Amino acid sequence: MTAAPTSPSDSQDGKTAPLLEITGLTVGFPQYGTKSLAALRNINFSIARGEVVGLVGESGSGKTALARSIMQLVPEPGRIESGKLIFEGRDLATLDSETLRQLRGREIAMIISNPRGELDPLQTVGDQIGNVLRAHMELSGDGIRARVLELLRQVSIPAPERRVNAYPHELSGGMAQRVVMAIALACSPKLIISDDATSGLDVTVQAQVLDLMRELVAGRGTSLLFITRDIGIAAHFCDRVAVIYAGQIVEEAPRDEFFENPHHPYSILLLSAFAQNERLRRYWLGDTTAGTGARTQDEGCPFADRCVRAQDRCRTETPQRREMAPRHFIKCHFPVER
Amino acid sequence: MALLSYIARRLIFVGPQLIGILFVSFMLVKLIPGDPAVMMLGPFATEDGLARLRAELGLDRSILEQFGIYVLRVAHGDLGTSWQTTMPVTSDLAQRFPATLELVTLSLALALLIGIPLGVAGAKNSRGVLRKIADYYGLMAGALPDFWFALVLIFLFYTILGIAPAPLGRLDFVIIPPDPVTGSLLIDSLIVGNWAAFRNAAGHLVLPVLTLGIINAGPILKMTQSTMEQMLQADFSKYAEMCGLPRNVVVRNALRNALPSIVTIVSVLYGFLIGGAVLVEIVFSWGGAGQYAVQGVLNSDLNPVLGFVLYSAILSLVIYLIVDLIYFAIDPRTR
Repeated sequence: MTAAPTSPSDSQDGKTAPLLEITGLTVGFPQYGTKSLAALRNINFSIARGEVVGLVGESGSGKTALARSIMQLVPEPGRIESGKLIFEGRDLATLDSETLRQLRGREIAMIISNPRGELDPLQTVGDQIGNVLRAHMELSGDGIRARVLELLRQVSIPAPERRVNAYPHELSGGMAQRVVMAIALACSPKLIISDDATSGLDVTVQAQVLDLMRELVAGRGTSLLFITRDIGIAAHFCDRVAVIYAGQIVEEAPRDEFFENPHHPYSILLLSAFAQNERLRRYWLGDTTAGTGARTQDEGCPFADRCVRAQDRCRTETPQRREMAPRHFIKCHFPVER
Repeated sequence: MALLSYIARRLIFVGPQLIGILFVSFMLVKLIPGDPAVMMLGPFATEDGLARLRAELGLDRSILEQFGIYVLRVAHGDLGTSWQTTMPVTSDLAQRFPATLELVTLSLALALLIGIPLGVAGAKNSRGVLRKIADYYGLMAGALPDFWFALVLIFLFYTILGIAPAPLGRLDFVIIPPDPVTGSLLIDSLIVGNWAAFRNAAGHLVLPVLTLGIINAGPILKMTQSTMEQMLQADFSKYAEMCGLPRNVVVRNALRNALPSIVTIVSVLYGFLIGGAVLVEIVFSWGGAGQYAVQGVLNSDLNPVLGFVLYSAILSLVIYLIVDLIYFAIDPRTR
């Protein structure tokens, strides 16, 4: 097996080619007796090398499904129904399971949201980091131990010589989060996906962990897909922001452009939900009465039933992705413009 | 140190627990109709003789008094005499209890060897051939009565093929048994290097161990499979998969997490089989403890029954203590 990762210079288009390019990705969950339920619909999305992209959306909007699709681990019984995921010029769907296994953790790493629940309760922190190193790197016992300590030091865990023998239940939430970051960084991956990683932490710890994450990613030129429900974090943290709603990316723009000039009504609702300023919120919202849930019909805009600007066309015709400003994409028939 | 104090704290309760168990079984046995005096003296006994014997046995006293006397004797290490064997119960059990223990221990070892690999394989791939086999195995093992299965094995391997020894005890009559040290024929014959006795005892063990092992692998398999399925679906297994750990490492870690449940079911089976192996013991004329106790119940022979209960209770308490220690070793959260 020569599953050696292609180095950046090998890729056809040189530096301009994105690290990860997703085109037309649709993920469905089969339902008994009827059409499958789409978790992701026609996602077009890419991440450049060294870029930090924020993916913002509410619960159930498909954030995790997207992360799992990139890992090629869509939870059963869901499956990728159409679309392509190209990572470094390789179509992930064509790779065999062993190549994919080597890719996971080594080139695409995941930072999870509930580390104390997702780390193995019966193994020490050091062993769990060591397991990942052993699975991907050619390291001996002493080499692994040295690297584990180095990683723990890098994620600013105090007294790593002691913590290396701790079990997950002996760690605080912030500490466990750092351990998971150490695991993600272990093999110096090219892409890290952080799936709602800081949501379980209290605010001060969250800020520390975020600073650390940004610092570590920037220092290595690693790309980061930062999935969150908190649009405020995305504002501080990301180069580019994408908003996902009911399985579709409804708006996508560079950070400053997004916050200065949001176009999609849903993005604006989301922004106003986080706005502390009452006047600003009223200005953004108008006299909205937010409706029920997302539409699940295939035709039409998924947000139509909740949207103040919705017209008949929104319910019959799915809006196509279009570019409002350079690199500012949107899926909406009647975008807000000011 | 914490471990030693934990064990000490557990041992403090052993005495009261045993007295409680004895009290309940004493009352239950007394509820069974039947007069030992009548059984002992036979159909031609005189009223006079019966009354004298009852007085001698203390049967004319109140039931609580009888229990008090019994407990005092037990405290001095005297479990009384069985009127059927005319031997002290302690020496009867010293011979029979190890016979049952040897049989049950080996059977459970076999059951583990079958149940765990098959259960793990079934959980790993819910659509594989091994899963089908595991499902049918669980069904079969649950449906077959062990004594019937024992008879089938005897018929096949002794009557037809003639490769198994006759189902008449633990050794052939011509073999001189080794001096009892542990009571286990295998270990005792190994101690003195008596290979003829070792081979013969092992040969006699094969069919009963196969019977109990194959039947009792069923629950172990079921428990292993369902717990493993749960553990492989658990968040930590999914995360391990996302980290790109090889499948066998993921399965190994899941198995470690599943072990407490497997240890629990094995300990329950162990306690159960000490008495529950009795039908198989009868089929193979094993002369084990369960057989001894059942004879006691059928003949109003109180002392063997209570002796058996006491021994089983002590054994169960020891097993549960060991189980707790195993939990400590496996799971850091319990320490």
